[in-house]
This record gives sequence, C-alpha cells and structure tokens, in this order.
Amino acid sequence: MSIYANAVKKPITTLMIFLAVVVFGIYSLINLPIDLYPDIEFPAITVVTTYSGANASDIETNISVPIEDALNSVDKLQEITSISRDNISVVFAEFEYETDLDEAANEIRDGLSFIEEILPEGAGKPTIIKLNASMMPILFYAITAEESYEGIEKLLEEKIINPLNRIEGIGSIGLAGTPIRQVLIDVDPKRMEAYNVTIEQIGSVLQMENMNMPTGNIKMGMLNYPLRVEGEFNSSDEIRDIVIGNQSGQPIYLRDVATVKDSIREMSIDQRINGQRGITMYVMKQSGANTVKIAREINKELQELQNTLPSDISIEVILDSSEFISGSIRNLTETLMFALFFVMMVVFFFLGRWRATLIIVLTIPISLIVAFIYLYITDNTINIISLSSLSIAIGMVVDDAIVVLENISKHIERGSSPREAAIYATNEVWLAVIVTTLTVVAVFLPMTMIGGMTGVLFRQLGWIVSITVTTSTIAAITLTPMLSSKLLSLRPKNGYRTRISKYEQIVIPWLNELDSRYEKALRWSLHNKLLITVISFIIFFGSILLATGLNTSFIPESDDGYITVAAELQSGTRMEESARIARKIDSIAVALLPDELELLSSSAGSDESGGIMAIFQSSGSNIINHSISLTSAEDRDVTVWDIAERIRQELQKIPEIIKFNVTTGGGMSMSTTTLDVQIFGYDIEQTTLLADQIAEHLETIPGARDIEISREKSKPELRFDIDREKMAAMGLNTTTVAMALNNRINGLIATQYREGGDEYNVVVKFNESYRNSISDIENIAITNPLGNKIRLSEIGTIREYWSTPNIERQGRQRVVTVSTTPYKVSLGKLAADVQTEINKMDIPPEIIIEVGGAFEDLQESFTDLAMLLMLSLILVYLVMASQFESFRMPFIIMFSIPFAFTGVILALFITNTDLSVIAGLGAIMLVGIAVKNAIVLVDYINLMRDRGYDIDDAIALAGKSRLRPVLMTAMTTILGMMPLALSTGEGSEIWSPMGISVIGGLVFSTVVTMLIVPVIYRVFARRGERDEKAQVRRKFDFMDK
Amino acid sequence: MKAVLIIYNQAHTERIEYMLDRLGIKGYTQWPTIMGRGSETGEPRMGTHTWPELNSATLTIIEDQKVDVVLEKVKKLDAVNEEVGIRAFVWDILDAV
Repeated sequence: MSIYANAVKKPITTLMIFLAVVVFGIYSLINLPIDLYPDIEFPAITVVTTYSGANASDIETNISVPIEDALNSVDKLQEITSISRDNISVVFAEFEYETDLDEAANEIRDGLSFIEEILPEGAGKPTIIKLNASMMPILFYAITAEESYEGIEKLLEEKIINPLNRIEGIGSIGLAGTPIRQVLIDVDPKRMEAYNVTIEQIGSVLQMENMNMPTGNIKMGMLNYPLRVEGEFNSSDEIRDIVIGNQSGQPIYLRDVATVKDSIREMSIDQRINGQRGITMYVMKQSGANTVKIAREINKELQELQNTLPSDISIEVILDSSEFISGSIRNLTETLMFALFFVMMVVFFFLGRWRATLIIVLTIPISLIVAFIYLYITDNTINIISLSSLSIAIGMVVDDAIVVLENISKHIERGSSPREAAIYATNEVWLAVIVTTLTVVAVFLPMTMIGGMTGVLFRQLGWIVSITVTTSTIAAITLTPMLSSKLLSLRPKNGYRTRISKYEQIVIPWLNELDSRYEKALRWSLHNKLLITVISFIIFFGSILLATGLNTSFIPESDDGYITVAAELQSGTRMEESARIARKIDSIAVALLPDELELLSSSAGSDESGGIMAIFQSSGSNIINHSISLTSAEDRDVTVWDIAERIRQELQKIPEIIKFNVTTGGGMSMSTTTLDVQIFGYDIEQTTLLADQIAEHLETIPGARDIEISREKSKPELRFDIDREKMAAMGLNTTTVAMALNNRINGLIATQYREGGDEYNVVVKFNESYRNSISDIENIAITNPLGNKIRLSEIGTIREYWSTPNIERQGRQRVVTVSTTPYKVSLGKLAADVQTEINKMDIPPEIIIEVGGAFEDLQESFTDLAMLLMLSLILVYLVMASQFESFRMPFIIMFSIPFAFTGVILALFITNTDLSVIAGLGAIMLVGIAVKNAIVLVDYINLMRDRGYDIDDAIALAGKSRLRPVLMTAMTTILGMMPLALSTGEGSEIWSPMGISVIGGLVFSTVVTMLIVPVIYRVFARRGERDEKAQVRRKFDFMDK
Repeated sequence: MKAVLIIYNQAHTERIEYMLDRLGIKGYTQWPTIMGRGSETGEPRMGTHTWPELNSATLTIIEDQKVDVVLEKVKKLDAVNEEVGIRAFVWDILDAV
C-alpha cells in the first residue's frame, strides 16, 4: 500500500512518527551550541624560527628561504608567505579549505627535519603553530586598579583566573599588560669598578648563594638523617647583604655597589582603560565550545568573584563577541517568527479556513526542526547561516502541503468523505509534488559541493534547505492527508448555511475578480505575442545594462560597534611620548562620541613579553593601539563606519602621528576587507619607493582609506662596530663583548627569588642613568681574562644606522603590500580605480604588481557562484526534462530565470545594495524558486491541452486556475523573506541582501511567469504538438484505407 | 439471479461497501483500480497525469428482488455529486456452480 494511504489509515502511527521527529529536533535544538558562523577552520600553519642577532636579510636568506623550500612540497598547499624581521622568521603556509591540518603539520615536520642541518647553528628549532579560530579571544576585559595595581597579577591569578578556568569549554585565560614583579639589582658602575667586581661576578655569586641542596644521608644510631644545605633567600632584603667579593680582606657587600629594589619591572607598554592604568584579560574558548554559553557563565561568575577583590579593582567588558552573536541570533529568531506569521496570514487569506491553515502551517515547524537534527548530528552550530537558511526555507516548505491540501479539499467539496478524499487526492498529486521539490533540491544541493570560502559558508545553507524541503514533501504526502482526513469536514454544498462569513463576502469576490482580469490580460498578450516578447527582451537587456552599474562586494560588513585605531609615531619615539599622544587620542574619542562611547582602551609601546601575538604584529615603542567599543547599533544614529571616518579626520590633525589606521569590526569578520596591491620585486629600495608612490596615488582615489604599506619604515638603530684587531689584542672576542653589553643594558637574570610558590627574576643591570647616552655606552668597561678593564671606546665605535626593514615574501618572492580599506565605495569599483592609477604609473619591468586581498576573494567567490549557477541550471533542466518527458518544455519554463535576475538587479538598484556574494547567492536560489512557479503553470497548460482544449483556451484556462496557487506559493516565499530583508538589527547587514535579491527576483519573475511564459509556450509548443498528432495519424492510416 | 456491475470513482469505495453491507449482500468481487471513460458525461479516469483519477468496480450476484434496491441506492449515491461518477449495469445469470 502506498505511503499516503498508510498514513491516512494509521493516523496514530503517523502522528507518533512525526512526534518522534519533533522530540529529537527539540533535543537537538537544546543541545546545539550557538555561534556566529559555521565552524570555519582557517587552514594555515605558521612556522616560527628565532635566530637572535641576525638582521632581516640574514634571516631571509638563512632561515625563511630554506623553510619555504621545505614547505613547498606539502600536499594541498595554497600559498606560502613569510616575514623576516630582525631575530625572527615567520613562515605562513596557507592550505586549501578543509585540509587536515594535523596531517599537514606532520608533513611540515618531516620537511623541516631535512633542512635542519642547513639552518645556521645559532638558530632556534623551528616551531610549528596551528592557527585556528578558537585561538581568537572571545572576551576581552579591562581591569583597572589603583592601590592594588602592583600586586594585581597574583591577585587576579588566584581570585579570578583559577576559578574561571573551571568553567567548561574555556581554552585559556590570559592577562596582558600586567605589572611583573622582579628584584632589580641596580648597579652603580663607578662603585662596581672601584671595588673591582663585574656584573657577571655579581650574577654568579647570586646564583651560587640562592641555592637549596640535599647533600646526602647521615646514619646516627638507629636513624637515618638526610642532610640539606639551605641557602635560598627568604626575603628580598637578604640579597642586599650578600658578600660578593673581598678587597684587601674586607668583604664587599652587594649593597656597597648596588641598590636592591623589589618592585615591578620597567614597563615598555602603557596600557589604559578609559584613561586609567589597566590590564586586559582575554578569554579563549576550546574549539567547538559554545561562545554564548561560556560568555554568559563567565560574566555571571565574574559578578560574584568581583566581590572577593579589593574595592579599587574594577572589571569591565571591552569586547564580548557573544553579545553580537546572541544579538544576531535573537534578531534572526524574531525574523523567523515574523516569517512564520506572514506565511500563516498568506495561507489563511487564500484558503479562508482556519483548520486548513493550521494543517499547512504545521508542516513548517516539523520541516524546520529536522534541520536542527541535521545540525546536531553533523556537529554544527546554530549560527547566522543556519538560521537564515531556515528563514529562506520557511516560505518554501508550505508549498507542497498547499498543493496537496488544495486537491483534497477539491475532492471533499465534490462529496467524497475526507478519509477517501485524502487518499485519492494525494495519489493524484504526489508525483508532481516530488518533482517540484526536486527542482528546488537541484539548486540547493550543488551548494554543498562548491569549494573555497564560499563553499564552506554555504554548505549549511544548501543542506538545510534541501533537508527541510525534502522533509516538507514527506510531511505533505503523509501528515497533511492524515490531518485533512481528521480535521476537514464535508460542507453541505447547497445546503442551508447559517451565515456567510466575512471572508466569503469580501475576499472571495475579490479573488474571483483577480482571476478573470488575469484571464483577460493573458488572452490579450496571447494575441500580441510579438509585442510582449519585444518588451520583455528590452526589459531584460536594459537590466543587464543596469547591472554593470551595480557595486560589487564580498560579504557585507556588519556594524558591531567596535573600532580599532592603530597609530604610528616617528620611529624610535619613546614610550612615554607615545603615551602622551595616546591620551590625546583618548580625548578626541571622548569628545567625538559623547553618547556612543562605551569603553576606550589603549596601549602605547609594546609589551616585551607579549607572547605569541608579538610575532604577528609589528610592535615598537612608537606604536599606539586603541580599541573603542560603541553602544549597540540600534541605540545610535551614526554607523560605525561614519564614526571611523570622523576619527580619521581628527587624527589627521595630530602632527606627531605619521601613519594611522582606523578599522571597524572586532576581528570576527570572516576575512580581510582590504584591497591589497602587491608589489613583487627583489630590490628592497626600489620596491619601497614604488610602494610609497602607489600609496601616494591611492590617496587621491575617493573612498580609499587607511592606506598602509606592509614594509615597516626603517628604524634608527645604534650599532657597536668592533675593531677586531684591537679587540683581539685586548684578549676579548665578539661574544664576550656582546654578552657583556647585554648584561649591562638589558640586564642579567642572575637567579630566581622564590616567595609563596612563585618565582621572580633577580635581574642585575646598570642603573639607568649610566646607560642612556652614547658616551655612557662607550664608557662601559669589560674585564678581559687578564683582569684588565677595557672601555668599549677602546675596541670600537658606536654609530647610528638605519636598520633594514622587515622582509615579506609571498610565493617565494619578495613582496610589499599596499593595502587600503574602502569607505562608502565598493570593493569592485575601488579595485578598478586602483588598477587605472597603477596603469598610469611607470613600473620597472622586473617588478610585478597585482591587485588582490579581499578583491581576490571576491573574484574567487564570484567564479564559484558562476559555477554554482551553471550546475544548478543543468540540474534543473535534467529534472524538468524528465518530468515533462520533453527537451523543449524545460526551455520554455527556464525563460522565467533571466527575468528573475532582472528582478534581482532592479531590487538591488532601487535599494542601493551592493551585489555581494550573499546577494548573488540569493539570485541563484531563485533559479529553483522561479522555475517552480513556471512548472506549475506549464504543467497545467499541458494538462488542459491533453484534455482536449485548444491551445489558446488551454493557456487561458490553466492561467486562470493556477493563478491562486502560484500567487500563494510566491507570496509565502516573498513574505517569508520580508523580515530578513527589512531587518536592521545587529548582523542584519550580512543577510538582508539575500532577502532583497530573492524578493525582487521573485516578484518580477512571478509577473513574468504569468505573462511571458504562456506567450513563449504559445510560440514554441504549437508546432510540436501538431507534429505529434500527425505522427499518430500516419501510424494508423491503414484504418481509413 | 442477476449480476450487478457497479463501476464508480474510487472516492465512492467506502460507501459502496457500506451499501452492500446495509442491504445484506455478502458476496461480491471487486476490482479496486480500473480505467475508463463515460459515453456522454463522465470524465476519463485514467490514472495518468492528464486524467489522474481512477475507478473501481464491484460485481455482485444477487437475488432478483434485491436488484431494484441496489439500483435505487446507486442512483442516490450519484445524486450526491454527479461529477464524481457511479454507474450500475445488470445482467441475467443463467447458471452457477
């Protein structure tokens, strides 16, 4: 027995099966983590190698190049870039999406083992670092304190970080900008020399004194005593009284030559939060953990933990990525609810019966809930893509149920019992329903197959729509007939009705009027085929012309109320001066944003112990970084982009700032938004010059902001040039000299002072007043093996140099990137402008210039989309050709597709929306949706002709009869997407273009379907049909002989 | 003994079964899916895409006096909605084993 007959005859079983699905769905929904985007692992591996003492070009030739060579053969590698800076080489290998990074890391390890021999001896072992999204902190806190500032690290460690770490899903919690305690032995070189001791001596004495050691066992009588020597310092005061040597029989105490300060380390960074000294705390989650849940738990826990802290410490959120996520999700959920409501209203409007409406609307939650099961099984998350997919699907999942229910009610009205009507009516349409679903799946399933960034993004969309639409079809041929057989009742046809409802008074006549007007219009256009065809072609080609004027962009940016400002002062500016400028920027921000400002955190200078992040960003005492959090998008009138622009204008007025960069978005954006001009060439001077020129040219292009050159400016540097002959004569060598200098200026870490389970460095170095001028440095004395003191000035000279900048390579070539961010101009247009500017320039032949960055991603994505479109068109054709058993019919139907695109172009044009990848995807979805309407119509025209109507009558009759179903399915889809297109809340910028393009395309293609498709049908189908009949007659002509 | 062949739209199936039960007719033979079309009115019932509906047929051999009742009931069924369609035809049965 067929599935629908079974469903009707066993209503309880049917109900139970669907209830089971719902229960699984709800279970999945509860357990699904929430995130902003589907889990996208950025497939990159970084190899970091240190080689202290080498300058950038040494690093390049000795480290970066061999490592690049070693990595080059690794499977699925897409691009290698490297940065060689003084002392460090960072090689960055980017792989194809969805590469198994563990495997790649192993291959890299193998490759590196071959070249380890080649690397210079002093170079460190290359470290392999896998970057992934979960390394991005999800929460930033600003911690400010007054009296407790000095001891804050330990306090936070104990009272905040340790308890927080117990929360499930937290990867790690870090602190940046904490003051670090250290014991500083501040040596007075003059006294030290007078007593004839050296820094190295002090260091080794401290190391030898600060020692606990077990020295064996002593057996005494019956017992065995372990013996220990305990010499470790118990308090930092003890250090002062250490005897470091003897002079003429008198002990020299440490206090004689130095002051011992137990304090915090000299900071090379000035961090402020809302103008106050502060520390940043950042939280990273484990990969796959629920950002929103973790953030909620941390915030809750912090509230309680804060009470245990001294009252002067305050903790504030700088950036909570979960806020944006939950805002977007809340927004989308609302959208979904509105869509559900609109769809329900449309169904009720056309059917006029609550029970029928209920039956149809019930398929929505059931179909959508299956999507959650899919997400749960495949370890996905509830995110923008999955929720907007649901929003897209919501209008489509009712279509099948509508067709089935319509046929059932037709049978019931003819007098069948609901039970039988349900079975037989479903039998009549189930195949057609499945085929129309197949055309939709034919469009969405290919989305799961495309590669690259676009593929990763839209895989979920493809799966979700395919799955929900398939489920809706299953529900339409099982649940819908079952519910119809139970809920619909036989209405007396000409019996005495107690009252005529409002609906029948108002809506029905209106709909009937619409039907007959449409029929008239249709008959008219059948008579004016040529006119209609010409007009439609003019409209179509007109829209193509319009399309060339559309701006193109990648994924639309969203206003998350977060701005970062990076300003660079003259190289070599001291941190204190940078901090002063930072305060200036603070006051600008405060003045510009009286109401919008939520939090302002800044740092000037660089954190020496900045850890891993220091590898990836340039740092220096002249760099100022600000991050500005604004109130949420709904609460302010100005967009984050306009605010950024205003800040730019203000920054321009500060003369000390030589370069600045104002970016929006809190690092959650999917990819770079900058347009990059890459200059490939070996000669550093030449390319630097060219980069400067290009940057100058870019300044003149309207809409080009934040122009940045990736090669750092040369920094002034002092270099001690050794006279080797003199040095050798003095019995010294370069290592001794360099070490001695390092110990005196940078400081010698002699030993660790232990207190309360923690270790603090004991650092010996010269008092600052003896190491801040060239003559001070020249005066530094180094003791040679003979015990003579040699001044540095005796063995060399100190000169000022410009250090070589960082050297970047890409694809094993030296490269400089000039990048710019578009403001109020599309990426595509900016790229074109930049290209014309570059074409005007005189480029030396050995230099290659490429325009890339986000623009490259954009082009790749559009190529992907074009492929997807082709694939969808082919699949849709295959499905339709087999449904109609004809090669020609699909073409007639596919005439509605170009007009859907016309609608998309018009909609984008009217709403002034960029043609982004998202809008493009909306256009592709239309292939399936627009065709579906045309199928319904053409199928019915065929039916009417088969039933013996003349072609014109068949078309007019079919049109009249199919108008309502077509309008109804189109309206459900259009109104289902309306909230998506109109939404203005957090994150709406990302997906509203899709809604706009689908609505525009569908409105237009529906009109076109109802007028032009019949005309085209009339033109193409006539002859074919005549031939068929003639053929049959020829076959049987023997009968007439 | 007469044979009554009732040919009807599938949608009538339950009513026919009920009718036969009501009239105390126990024996019948039924063809659940058959095709056909009416001579004058009667749309084709082909089970195809063009004519999706189907007919069923029930053949029952009954006492002569029951034939009129059956025909009367069939007529009443037809009157509910003539579009749906039901017809009955009667033969003489000459012999049976």
